[in-house]
Amino acid sequence: MGRYPRWPIHFALIGAGIVMLVPFYWVLKTSVSGENIYAYPPSIVPRHIHPFFYIDVWYSIPFARYFLNSVAVSMIAVVCNVAFNALAGYALTHGFRGKNAVMLLFLSCMMVPFQATIIPAYLITGKLGLLDSWLGLALPQCSTIICIFVFKSSFDAVPRSLIDAARIDGLPEWRIIWHIMLPLSRSAIATNVILAFIWSWNNFLWPLIMTRSADMQTLPLGLARFLSYQEDTTGALYAFCIMVLAPGLVLFLMAQREFIQGLTSGATKG
Amino acid sequence: MNRASKWRSILSNRFVVVPGVIAVVVLVWNIYVATHNHGVVIGRVVDVNGNPVADATVALWIFNFTTYEEREHVTTDARGDFRFSNNPSYKLQISAEKPGVGRSDRIPVFLYFRSQDIDLSSPLRLGRN
Repeated sequence: MGRYPRWPIHFALIGAGIVMLVPFYWVLKTSVSGENIYAYPPSIVPRHIHPFFYIDVWYSIPFARYFLNSVAVSMIAVVCNVAFNALAGYALTHGFRGKNAVMLLFLSCMMVPFQATIIPAYLITGKLGLLDSWLGLALPQCSTIICIFVFKSSFDAVPRSLIDAARIDGLPEWRIIWHIMLPLSRSAIATNVILAFIWSWNNFLWPLIMTRSADMQTLPLGLARFLSYQEDTTGALYAFCIMVLAPGLVLFLMAQREFIQGLTSGATKG
Repeated sequence: MNRASKWRSILSNRFVVVPGVIAVVVLVWNIYVATHNHGVVIGRVVDVNGNPVADATVALWIFNFTTYEEREHVTTDARGDFRFSNNPSYKLQISAEKPGVGRSDRIPVFLYFRSQDIDLSSPLRLGRN
């Protein structure tokens, strides 16, 4: 390992990082300058920086209401994901009759796209009386199979003897999950939080289908509505994109260490 | 771990610090907005030589979804100053004219929030059009 210089790897990674960041930079630059993306010659550094496209977005549509809807729906999805997926993941760490069939069912369900099940999902949500509500918006994302497996792989890494000791001490199963498994699976929780948040935050199709009133729309729907309002959208559109992206980016930057650990824990466990 | 250090570790956690800082910034900004949103727009009208113009008519145009529409107009005083006191918008234009002297360009003004109080830094100059 020490025989090889590391700078070529770092150089290549920095180059790849820059390439990946260029679109984000371009969106940010256009959002504060309004410079047309097709302008020639293109300018790398923005001229005449101002925040007025952001203000335009804030007042052109009920941004605060859409933001509140997105935050509420994402929070419900995150809390339900962590709770339900932890329970399901814990169950899958045990041996029980039909476990392989359940695993197979989960894996096969992952191959069915949401678009194929959206009509039953709509009908069930309607029967529950949850159409046009925050809970109804979050309902299809209250548990995701990928996140169940993230919890399962994390729980599998917890020594069996620890769980047996807790049982001998008389701890019920739910307290074993709450007091032993979850504190030892912080990276899995962070992965669940980030994935559930981002999937819920960016969801477009389900809110489009199930919301009826304008007050219950979320930010992705607001973006579509905003596009239909504005004619000259270059700067304001990019500002809207930044405003939609920012919460997800902040959350990811806060929890990136646990997120990476959570995704790789299954792979590195020996 | 005693109670004080437990609280310290909770409060210094980045999942508490970052949302806390954002909440404080939002709170301070909202206090600033609440104390500076009386809709006052103050400015001055001058002629081509930079002399104040009295009795010029100044019009306030506010952005109405896709176009600007005239909301109200006032007259300048002896020192060429004018004042609008209930601007409801964040995106406006201001123009001035006086028969015999000329009219100004329609100056776009962008505000940071609706009804922001503002004292225009440069005067409206008559006689260009």
